[in-house]
Amino acid sequence: MDVGAQGVVVDIVPGDNVENVESGEGRSPSADRLLSLGVTPGARVTMLQRFPGIVFLCDQTELAVERGVANAVLVRPWENPS
Amino acid sequence: MSCHIAHEQAAAASRPLTLRSRPLRVALVGQPNVGKSVVFGRLTGRYVTVSNYPGTTVAVTQGRVLVGAEVCDVIDTPGVNTLEGTVSEDERITRDVLETDRADLVVQVADARNLRRALMLTGQIATFGKPTILALNMVDEAFARGIVVDAPALEAELGIPVIEMVAVEGRGMAELRDALARAAVPHVPTAARAGATARAEWAHALTTRVRHVSTISLARIQETLAWATRTPLTGLPILAVVLYALYLFVGVFGAQTLVKLLEDGVFGRGINPASTWLVDRVIPIPIVHDFLVGEYGLVTMGVTYSIAIVLPVVATFFLMFGFLEDSGYIPRLAIFCDRIFRTMGLNGKAVLPMVLGLGCDTMATMTTRILGTPKERLIAILLLALGIPCSAQLATILGILGGISFAALATLFGVVIGQMILVGWLAARVLKGERSEFILELPPIRWPRIGNLLTKTRLRVWWYLGEAVPLFLIGTVLLFVLDRVGALVWLSAAGRPIVTGLLGLPPATAQILVMGFLRRDYGAAGLFQLAHSGQLTGVQAVVALTVMTLFVPCVANFLMMVRERGLRTGLAIIGVITPIAIFTGAGLNYVLRSLGVHF
Repeated sequence: MDVGAQGVVVDIVPGDNVENVESGEGRSPSADRLLSLGVTPGARVTMLQRFPGIVFLCDQTELAVERGVANAVLVRPWENPS
Repeated sequence: MSCHIAHEQAAAASRPLTLRSRPLRVALVGQPNVGKSVVFGRLTGRYVTVSNYPGTTVAVTQGRVLVGAEVCDVIDTPGVNTLEGTVSEDERITRDVLETDRADLVVQVADARNLRRALMLTGQIATFGKPTILALNMVDEAFARGIVVDAPALEAELGIPVIEMVAVEGRGMAELRDALARAAVPHVPTAARAGATARAEWAHALTTRVRHVSTISLARIQETLAWATRTPLTGLPILAVVLYALYLFVGVFGAQTLVKLLEDGVFGRGINPASTWLVDRVIPIPIVHDFLVGEYGLVTMGVTYSIAIVLPVVATFFLMFGFLEDSGYIPRLAIFCDRIFRTMGLNGKAVLPMVLGLGCDTMATMTTRILGTPKERLIAILLLALGIPCSAQLATILGILGGISFAALATLFGVVIGQMILVGWLAARVLKGERSEFILELPPIRWPRIGNLLTKTRLRVWWYLGEAVPLFLIGTVLLFVLDRVGALVWLSAAGRPIVTGLLGLPPATAQILVMGFLRRDYGAAGLFQLAHSGQLTGVQAVVALTVMTLFVPCVANFLMMVRERGLRTGLAIIGVITPIAIFTGAGLNYVLRSLGVHF
């Protein structure tokens, strides 16, 4: 993902340094669930696998989700990757 | 030591010794799978089941303990990710504890790796206004992954004691006990108490200040295993190996080698002849002989079934199952099952109650609380009752059909799984309500601790003996009485059109199906003996076991369904399952015979 661009979790390719940008508070039960599992603005997100199900690492939490859920998590590259 | 005393004095000064009319109530609260039950066990000396996946504890456990001069009631609660908004049933249980005076003090147990998430929960706990302690558990695992938390700095920011611990080794427990007197309401900014987003920002900022993450990880082997178990290319072969190992250990070693040793050896040549001899010598009355050592004798049937046939099977199963539980492997199966479960109105998370059902359907029925919606819970309970064989049944299936042929086994599992998918698919369309989206946290892969594994297996075996043996004995007495009053003959005659006619089974199978309702494994043991004595052909064995697997759940499972979902739902489930079981068995019998299959 290019710096400055914005996408969803399923767009992440291996090697991307990506963080979550948006809190889904109150948008849907799934969004609230993700928030409580630590998918919060600023949390680092790494894609682990796409098939047969999507698994991504958010900070230190490994999460398995269905595609629809991963499609709703907005991410962007770190602004200043260190 | 002097520092310790100074601490105590400071605490005593700030908190005058209060006389209580009841013990201090300490609630252990925290995210799922952070080790609350381990801390509970360490504090109280009581063991509650500990596993490596979220949702092991779905009810509250309590234990009393003396800490210093204070009597405490420690409460272990189900794990929570959130305490506000729509919460699942197990989360509501924890929220109720915090909302009422069932907790005077909160010990928040947290996974040291996941400080950010822990703090989000701290922010919510603060709103209940109870004195709190933060116990950062598993600091060793965090360290292995390059994560270090500055506990004193965190303590200063939150204004509450922050204890670093490794609960499974008992490290930090003394510090935790000492800290009880210093517990305070956490300092959380008002904004962060109000909304989830503000709280997340606060937690993120605070974590950045007190946590240091380096890129060096010492946990490479676990990480590789974690990867291998979730990727299809390696994950599916690993699953096949796990299932084969389960078959070898439980189906061959447990259900064949150990059962043979106990049934033919210990009981067949030792206990049963000896008891018969003793009874005939001491009380030579025919009815007493029959009652104790006859065809439906307490010793020759009740004790032999429960100890010689079922015990070796459940013991080997519990051991193997405990290993899988503690390794963190089971939730990874959810990734592979999500799609198929979605056609049944569930999602991948349902793999947890389903796999647990292979241990005991009654316990698994309770675990459906972790599922997101009432509709999902109902479907899961229905499918558990319909198609998931419990450990004893599974082993009987493996024991009987494994000895016949692989095709026989495949036929049974094919029919049962097909039936579950069909019924699930229909239920998903007929029942009102929604499915929740699949979101599941995967626990880390760990090497199971032998101590926990053995304790857990021992307790489960004891539980089995306490629960099953009396029922086996009651069942035997019941059969004995039914036999004496001629009801068994009547039952076999009444069941004949179905059992012999539709299903093509020997008439004696009717009573076995009745035994199966009393306890699934009891019926399973009955079938086992029938097959052992050569009274069942291959096709009959497959049909009988298929019907038994699909047939009504045992009494305990039925009562649990009623407890969780009410009497009407319980009866409705039975009403759905019974015809399905019989018609499937009849259809299978017809098809197999028409095709001239012999296995």
